Amino acid sequence: MENNEKYLSKNEQFWQRIVWIAGAFSFIICVLIIVNYAQINRLDPINTEVINKLVERLNQNPEDNELREEIREMDLLVRKAYFTNQWQIRTGGYMLLIGVAIAIIGLQVIITNRKKNPQISDTRDQDLLQKQKITRRWVSLGGTLVVTTALAFAYLSHQSLENRFEIAAEGEPQEIEQQNISTEETVSESIDEDVADDLPPEQTQVVADNQNDSVTESTILKEEELESSVVTTSSEPATTSGEDSFTNFRGPGGNGISTQKNIPENWNGETGENIAWKVAIPLRGFNSPIIWGNKVFLSGAEELRREVYCLNRNSGEFIWTAKVENVPGSPVKGPEVANYTGYAAPTMATDGKRVFAIFSNGDITALDMDGNQIWARNLGAPVNHYGHSSSLMVYNDKVIVQYDQKNLAQILALSVNNGETVWSKTRDVKISWASPVIVNTGNRMGIILAAEPFVISYDPDTGNELWRLDCIYGEVGPSVAYADGIVFSVNDYSKLAAIKIGDTPEILWESEEYLSDIPSPVATDKYLFLATSYGVIVCYDAKKGTILWEHEIDNTIYASPMIVEDKVYLVDKQGIMYIFRVDKEYIPVAQPELGEKIVCTPAFAEGKIYLRGYDHLYCIGK
Amino acid sequence: MKLKLVDISYKRILYFALLILLTLNVFDSAAQQRFPKPEFETGHTQPPTLTPEPRAELLEIIDVGVLILSLSLITWFILKKRSRKGVFWMSIFSIVYFGFYREGCVCSVGSLQNITLALFLPEYKIPVTVIAFFVIPLIYTLFFGRTFCAGICPLGAIQDIFVIKPYSLKSWANSLLGLFPYIYLGLAVLYAATATDFIVCRYDPFIGIFRFNGTFFMLVIGGIFLLTSIFIARPYCRFFCPYGVLLNIVSRFSGKHMTITPTECIQCKLCENSCPFDAIQKPVLVNVLDNRRTTVKRFIQLSLIIPLLIFLGGWTGSRFHENLASVNPKVRLANVLLEENNEINEDTQVEIDAFKSSGNTEGKLYSEAASIVKDFYTGGWILGGFLGLVFGLTLAGLSRFQYRTDYTPNKGTCLSCARCMDYCPVRPGKETEFTID
Amino acid sequence: MSKAGENNRLDRRKFINKTVRYSLAIGVCGVGAVLAGKASKGELVWQLDPAKCVQCGRCATNCVLTPSAVKCIHVYDMCGYCDLCSGYFRVNTKDLTTGAENQLCPTSAIERKFIEDPYFEYHIDEDLCIGCGKCVKGCASFGNGSLQLQVNHSLCVNCNQCSIARDCPAEAFSRVPADKAYSFKGFNRDELI
Repeated sequence: MENNEKYLSKNEQFWQRIVWIAGAFSFIICVLIIVNYAQINRLDPINTEVINKLVERLNQNPEDNELREEIREMDLLVRKAYFTNQWQIRTGGYMLLIGVAIAIIGLQVIITNRKKNPQISDTRDQDLLQKQKITRRWVSLGGTLVVTTALAFAYLSHQSLENRFEIAAEGEPQEIEQQNISTEETVSESIDEDVADDLPPEQTQVVADNQNDSVTESTILKEEELESSVVTTSSEPATTSGEDSFTNFRGPGGNGISTQKNIPENWNGETGENIAWKVAIPLRGFNSPIIWGNKVFLSGAEELRREVYCLNRNSGEFIWTAKVENVPGSPVKGPEVANYTGYAAPTMATDGKRVFAIFSNGDITALDMDGNQIWARNLGAPVNHYGHSSSLMVYNDKVIVQYDQKNLAQILALSVNNGETVWSKTRDVKISWASPVIVNTGNRMGIILAAEPFVISYDPDTGNELWRLDCIYGEVGPSVAYADGIVFSVNDYSKLAAIKIGDTPEILWESEEYLSDIPSPVATDKYLFLATSYGVIVCYDAKKGTILWEHEIDNTIYASPMIVEDKVYLVDKQGIMYIFRVDKEYIPVAQPELGEKIVCTPAFAEGKIYLRGYDHLYCIGK
Repeated sequence: MKLKLVDISYKRILYFALLILLTLNVFDSAAQQRFPKPEFETGHTQPPTLTPEPRAELLEIIDVGVLILSLSLITWFILKKRSRKGVFWMSIFSIVYFGFYREGCVCSVGSLQNITLALFLPEYKIPVTVIAFFVIPLIYTLFFGRTFCAGICPLGAIQDIFVIKPYSLKSWANSLLGLFPYIYLGLAVLYAATATDFIVCRYDPFIGIFRFNGTFFMLVIGGIFLLTSIFIARPYCRFFCPYGVLLNIVSRFSGKHMTITPTECIQCKLCENSCPFDAIQKPVLVNVLDNRRTTVKRFIQLSLIIPLLIFLGGWTGSRFHENLASVNPKVRLANVLLEENNEINEDTQVEIDAFKSSGNTEGKLYSEAASIVKDFYTGGWILGGFLGLVFGLTLAGLSRFQYRTDYTPNKGTCLSCARCMDYCPVRPGKETEFTID
Repeated sequence: MSKAGENNRLDRRKFINKTVRYSLAIGVCGVGAVLAGKASKGELVWQLDPAKCVQCGRCATNCVLTPSAVKCIHVYDMCGYCDLCSGYFRVNTKDLTTGAENQLCPTSAIERKFIEDPYFEYHIDEDLCIGCGKCVKGCASFGNGSLQLQVNHSLCVNCNQCSIARDCPAEAFSRVPADKAYSFKGFNRDELI
């Protein structure tokens, strides 16, 4: 018996030692794992800002081999640390399990081997009733506590969510309907006025009637009439005449044809010959300038800074700079954009009372002519791997936004007054970078958009689809051109298609010889001019599709050609402007150089050219 | 205006222009493919796309079989063999099989949410094994007491082996803390019924330990539960487990519950403090019965205020429904979108972007969110009413007692761990041998 | 008060107990049977729909496993074997080498192998892949979209409630039948086999 007891106590000592050792071991492992865990959180390989920054720096100086080596070393270090850390935590977990298991086994052995003396409480038990009474009190107290806490929270954070959601839910579609009704009225009125200014009375009748969809006979208008009926996008040409104005990307309707006259043909950026002024723009942006009256507007942005600039058109002085900030719903982080697109690629637009600007993060804003914000909203950060670049367009009292992003392609019409969505259409197309074109296509106004796989036309008043054609593929960059009832769409890896629009649009001719992936084409009733980004200028017969001439230059072209009077103005990336005749042969007029890199399309007003280089805005003319 | 990788991919463009011309027809028919799949001249064969198969279905059925077998075995150990050792080894088996091997999923505790969701959302597809894991332990408990809790539930088993030096809690603390599982159950059902979340699974403290993997926070919580279990036995089972609530209720009606003594209690008091879960009911002495009249009166009074408590609870729940609803991701998103001045961090930004690109309109989101909030309003009433009822019944139950001469396990809270049996000096058929003075 | 009365009461209690017990049993089994009637025929597993996926990166961080059970799977049949692979290279990469400064993958899990001019094959080392979806985003925006995020079922523990599904902003996760455990965008495996 004694022996047995001795054995037992010896045994117990042994197990006690084991428990202590295992316990200490587990504790140490536990601490190590926690330390490791803290490290792994710092070493998140997905968000190694340091490496990303270094890579960015390397992109700016691609020749820096030291930096390259540094990145490689750091990358290896981070990855090694990450995986070793994970291995350590996993191994640590197993070791901890073993340690704890041994400790627990030891403890269990000790307590089972220990003599158990059943405890019999000597103290008299509390009265059962007394116990129940105390318990009742505690339960009541607990219940009261739960109720008061719940009520306190409820009243502190009461938001009447359901009502608010319901109002919001009902509010959305209703608002749109009302908007629709009211805009339709104003549109038909203003269209009547607009057209009445420009067209003979019978014509007005036709256009107005067609607005109401009652006229079925198709009227083929003559070229001059067409030209003049390309929409002047302002509904209220109040203070300034539209003639000095260039309200959006690629001129009236976005169709690449300017109505300006006496545009200069010669200048020299280096000597300053014929350069009225040159101003540095604080933030870079690949958008083109727009003009209203004596003001020229453009925007610039960095990842987290967005600005709109207004300059005096004649002197080049800054009138105001507006920062676009605190836009509701604007993402905290800037989008990822390619550096050849930048954060401010879309060109602004104006209706003469307000200017509109959109940025790569989906912020769109309206400013008055003095730079005060009228409204601003975020359309949802676009999922766009190069960066959003479709320019804005104003039609009557609506801003048209082509918003073809990866997951959801849309076209939106926002009210110029408050930015609310007047109408919006989901588009079953892929992401695109082209800009809308709004033209009178013979008997009605149409917005024409191009994105894989369709060229689609929408009614600018209601957003109803007018027609579509499956004829464009790839990552569509060029906008369409329109002339004399024919829409020209083109993209690289795709084809050039001339679409004859009528009751049923059909492809008049196709070509695959020269395709553009950035510059948009421009057309007259006879010719189509196309510039490819790798430096070939081509002229097609607009009706037949035969190539009339081609002219190769050695430079890259990003900007789009513009037709002014009877000349085409096309600037290449080196800043050389190619001015040639609108003709069946290549007849160069002049080839002036600016001496700064250019990717933006020029704007024209009152005998002057406004041209944005990488860092400066130039006014060319006397 | 679009600017693209022209400088870099000049060669490639030419190449692909050529390629497209050559394969124009192919390109048209498969317009989705930007770059056609190449045909290798070197005879290179492309490797297969690896898609490892999920766990075989047979194994899932085996899981159910193992559940039934182990439940039968542990019931036999408890009721027939009266062996604590058997229960202990079954616990080890369960920790190894249901815990570490099956990684704690699906467990019966979580299955109650699937059942709820399947009842409320007809289109929800519930796997048959989940139903089995929900129903089988309930049926066993209904006939044999909580033998499932004793050592088959891996969550209970892992806590049980940590029971080293349990301290007994005051009876008021036991009752008060014992109400928390009802609240947890109510919330779990509410959130499952509204398809918001499975909170029992989300806050399962031990699953991370079984997987050797999990969020730091949950692993720490699991560690805390296990360490607590050394002194306060099985804290999760007693004061949190929502499935335990169901088993508790069902077990009260169990047919053949385990007993402390194999034959007849001799009132030796040896088992009195043996239960680490304070689930042994002491005899109710006759002198208590003297106060019977006042007790009965109080019982009736308390029973009468139960409807009032239900209403109060329901009303409170309905006031609180917005706080409950704000857990729902749709409601949260709608709220963020509606309140434009809300501070938006990167996480919510991801959600807003995803929503905007999903093509759903805000109007639809708002009306969905409104109907969810409405569901929560109804749910708040029901949850509050249920909790009011539970508090009322607890209070009323605390005013009644049964005349008892023996030491018996509380059929509701007893986890059938069989520890008390070892303390009982009575052996079957040998009762006469042992007497007490 | 007699023994008989006591016994009577006990009998009554027993009877009530029994009644409740059997009705509860019938109730529980009934619920089980009703649900079993409309239960899924086979087992269900979690899978994400690449068509809905927005590559937010939460798959990498929100899985209960570290590293995540969601991996990038390469659908070779869709791959264009591009030299300039936008799933492999960072956006502004100039020289197409395997240098760390050019790679998009944060863990360098993609291997690039020259096959023949101008084709390169890309192979994903699943041990290294953490499911962040960066390459998927890159491939989808410029390439064929042959890199796709999928739940790897040899790793997935098939949680009762998938913790990624709960936090997926695009609601791309759902339970799918185990015999159709993978779903690829723009490619149907069955058609080929």
